[in-house]
Amino acid sequence: MASEVDKSLLIIILDVNLSQRIVRQETKVLTQCLDSTIVFANAHLMQKSNNQLAVMACHAHGSLFLYPDEKHSEVRQIDGQYERFTLVERSVRQRLQEAISEIRTDRPLNSESLIAGALSMALCYVSRLEREKVAGEKLNSRILVITASNDSASQYMNYMNVFFTAQKMGLILDVCSLDQELTLLQQGCDITGGNYLKVAQLSGLLQYLLWVFLPDPSIRSKLVLPPPVKVDYRAACFCHQELVDIGYVCSVCLSIFCKFSPICTTCHTVFKMPGPMPLKMKKKKKNIDAVH
Amino acid sequence: MSNTISGKNLLRPTGLRCKNLHEYLKSRPPDILNKLYHNPPICLAVFRELSEIARHYVMRLLFVEQPVPQAVIASWCSKLHSEEHQRVVQVLNELNVWNEASIPGGLPGWILNSTFKKNLKIVLLGGGKPWTMSNQLETDSKPRDVAFLDSYALERWECVLHYMVGSQQQEGISADAVRILLHAGLMKLDEEDGSPVITQAGFQFLLLDTASQVWYFILQYLDTIEARGLDLVECLTFLFQLNFSTLGKDYSTEGMSEGLLTFLQHLREFGLVYQRKRKAGRFYPTRLALNIATGQNKPLSSDLEKEGYIVVETNYRVYAYTNSNLQVALLGLFCEMLYRFPNLVVSILTRDSVRQALKSGITAAQIVGYLRQHAHSKMIEAGPPTLPPTIADQIKLWENERNRFLFSEGVLYSQFLSQTDFEVLRDYALNTGVLIWQSERKRTVVVTKAGHDDVKRFWKRYTKGSN
Repeated sequence: MASEVDKSLLIIILDVNLSQRIVRQETKVLTQCLDSTIVFANAHLMQKSNNQLAVMACHAHGSLFLYPDEKHSEVRQIDGQYERFTLVERSVRQRLQEAISEIRTDRPLNSESLIAGALSMALCYVSRLEREKVAGEKLNSRILVITASNDSASQYMNYMNVFFTAQKMGLILDVCSLDQELTLLQQGCDITGGNYLKVAQLSGLLQYLLWVFLPDPSIRSKLVLPPPVKVDYRAACFCHQELVDIGYVCSVCLSIFCKFSPICTTCHTVFKMPGPMPLKMKKKKKNIDAVH
Repeated sequence: MSNTISGKNLLRPTGLRCKNLHEYLKSRPPDILNKLYHNPPICLAVFRELSEIARHYVMRLLFVEQPVPQAVIASWCSKLHSEEHQRVVQVLNELNVWNEASIPGGLPGWILNSTFKKNLKIVLLGGGKPWTMSNQLETDSKPRDVAFLDSYALERWECVLHYMVGSQQQEGISADAVRILLHAGLMKLDEEDGSPVITQAGFQFLLLDTASQVWYFILQYLDTIEARGLDLVECLTFLFQLNFSTLGKDYSTEGMSEGLLTFLQHLREFGLVYQRKRKAGRFYPTRLALNIATGQNKPLSSDLEKEGYIVVETNYRVYAYTNSNLQVALLGLFCEMLYRFPNLVVSILTRDSVRQALKSGITAAQIVGYLRQHAHSKMIEAGPPTLPPTIADQIKLWENERNRFLFSEGVLYSQFLSQTDFEVLRDYALNTGVLIWQSERKRTVVVTKAGHDDVKRFWKRYTKGSN
């Protein structure tokens, strides 16, 4: 008889940005991804009666919760589907429809998705649930990001903050990439101990999701899953948001720059110009020797 | 020259066995199992009862149309956990969730039971017919909220429990419920005046948590269901529909058969559903009906239980903040009462009081479980562990104390006329592996009951031969 009740919370972040490459090529792809995501979400709920679920959408202008949704909480069965699943399906679809029609067209649409923002919202949601839970309850939370966006380093700082917060909270971050290798999010998976997968065939998305991302972290060790890939740990510089192999690091705040700058833009420390430093050192040493 | 002593093992406690859904279904004939799988709610319940790995196997196979080689499935589980894999395979076979099928290449494979697969897909993806109770309803003019349903369910259920311990605060319960209690062996008719009294099993039943109690009770009820002329499959399906319903929502009774309506009235009596009037046309499931099948590993029952009220200290004192006679009576089963105040009972766990409980068939695990389950929220906050480990261990030690003797039934051979006779018989028994005990000095041998006939025959042959 366990006095502790384990609850498993899954937060799915679906990237619905319309400027993703595969969506631009074929708009149906987004519907297909949505279908697979909903079935996957319900499959998670199906595992155990105390599994919990949250679904979020994020695009270029913001992110929002699709489920749970207080407005659409009353639903009656229409076919043999379990009521709770019908509720998930319906509220996700309705809310997403509302969200997409609300996207303002006067602003440029082709910017990148605010996944880091959605991740922070998810973290806030988890921390609220952690606060509200009753004694003797244990919440195992994880976040799954499903995206076809490109890799970009412009949100590098936000990502890193989110990753390390997640690690501190004991949260696991899984990433399912539909289009390209995402080095940044890959780092996040590695830091938090989650799985990263780049889907090879989009038509089999649901099977990929069920195989790799459905198992709870606690039993992942028992099932044979794809081995972790080599993670590219290059950092992005703070000046141009580009990934650099070798760069300059501020000795005070550890900010990274690809080119030398006399004042750190983050903490405003003033550095001396890198003149012929080594030469000076040698001279000094000689002087000291001479004194002796 | 041989005396037979047959000892019966009277001291072993007969524990109250609470089957889980898996065990229950396993004990049903296969054709019933297949009939059950035609109903989506049952498929979902069976699926949830499977172990975690088994659930993932089913999920992976759900969208695969052809048989999958057994070797492939075995490779899904890491080598370190192959034992677990074997168990999963056995369970899935027993429940007829998947069947053996050979693959064109001649390899043995597995394919999901087509009925099961079809109906599980319906649950997940939709399609098929709606469940019987989800007809459209007009909004209830006086909707009932969750708090009301909870208190109603608890009140109804405690009514049954109170009846069992014969507390004064009992309300009447129906003859039907009494019959089930009698059938389940939780109560028996008193030999003198024929009124029902609680049995040892009944006390053990009281120590279970509410979810397990309800499940045990329902299992016993289902046993008698066919004698009442109700259809088992129909009732089970309905039960699991309730299991997956939403708390605080009303459901329609429209389109339900006569048998189901009777069943609903029975459930209403035990507080599993709430109905304002018998002919109201709508009902509300209560928390008791939700997650009914989860048995021991109940997830939601903690919301149902009233506030925990027991504080256990390392000095064996047990403080119970309660004024319910039922709870005091239960505590009294294994504690010695010291003081009683209007809202507080002080008692102490002693070796004698615990042994008293053990003697009546209650197990240490049940006592510890009860204390843990009703622990005061302050104790839970201080934990884990919720209970002081020394107390939990000591109760278990007291139980082990009683298990110092190992009882084995046997037949005694004694009064041998010569040492050689004794040795011949002893060696024979030793070689055939039926010897339990022997003493050379007393010329006594004890053999197992099963081996007695053989040894006796040998002895006859031996004595004839030597004469």
